[in-house]
Amino acid sequence: MTNIPTAIAGFEHINRYWDRNMHVNAAKILPGEFYVSLHGEMIVTVLGSCVSACIRDKVRGVGGMNHFMLPMQNEHSSEQWGSNSVSSASRYGNWAMEYLINEILKAGGKREDLEVKVFGGGQVLSNMTDIGQRNVAFVKYYLAKEGLKISAMDAGGMYPRKVLYFPDTGAVKVRKLKSTRNDTIISREKEYIKDINTQPKDGAVELF
Amino acid sequence: MTKILAVDDSASMRQMVSFTLKGAGYEVVEAADGKLALEQAKKQQFDLVLSDVNMPVMDGITLVKELRALSNYKFTPILMLTTESAGDKKMEGKQAGATGWLVKPFNPDQLLATIKKVL
Repeated sequence: MTNIPTAIAGFEHINRYWDRNMHVNAAKILPGEFYVSLHGEMIVTVLGSCVSACIRDKVRGVGGMNHFMLPMQNEHSSEQWGSNSVSSASRYGNWAMEYLINEILKAGGKREDLEVKVFGGGQVLSNMTDIGQRNVAFVKYYLAKEGLKISAMDAGGMYPRKVLYFPDTGAVKVRKLKSTRNDTIISREKEYIKDINTQPKDGAVELF
Repeated sequence: MTKILAVDDSASMRQMVSFTLKGAGYEVVEAADGKLALEQAKKQQFDLVLSDVNMPVMDGITLVKELRALSNYKFTPILMLTTESAGDKKMEGKQAGATGWLVKPFNPDQLLATIKKVL
């Protein structure tokens, strides 16, 4: 057992613990959460239809993970991100990616040294076709637009994934959850979808 | 035509912001960091500057300070559009001379209403 290192400002609310199996400090993120680490921690998440970008500065070992999905499109259902570029889905997805990248850069990362890995987007919620694919398609579009290459990806398919990410080394362990009960993952994702669809995450405006 | 300088290091964010502003009838010039924005601002007069905060080369707060030091940008509205919602960063922006602070993800109607209000 070691002391849990201090979290970067803004990530104090994330569930962090000593992982007895991996013998490492860990941070577990839920749908809609982010975590960035400077301390060689392990970042853990479980993905159904959601997608996670694991991004780190491969020179400095600073990195983190997001975990999100796009809100449903009630406007034109075109998936051409570029031409339908101000839909609530695009704006939310952009924010989820940019927020993670900005926090890594603020923690000392350099854009030119970023390494990106992408996971998730399974077809887990059976009554909602291809939303996993849609989340992955968005992340691929976004990264291409920003000139960031994907160095590893495991996405799609019908099983949820447990992802363990080590931002200091870039190592990732992905386990497909074929046999465990997935009710918790599904109900957590459904709750999250309901939230982002009914309460759009529009930022505050303040005039000085 | 009202001319807006939109500054953001993210290409997809610039695209979304431009799309929104052009759709509302504004003329938009894009810049990818504070330094490039400053060069543009010296070349032509903008009626409003909409800038990100965290950017390489020159960040948004420095850009505001540099613009406010120019006689023709002393009173030009400068809005910050950022993922930053922390109070101290916002205070820094206010002290540098920014007109307002919008937190991403932006709502297009809200962005346009704010621009109208400060122009």
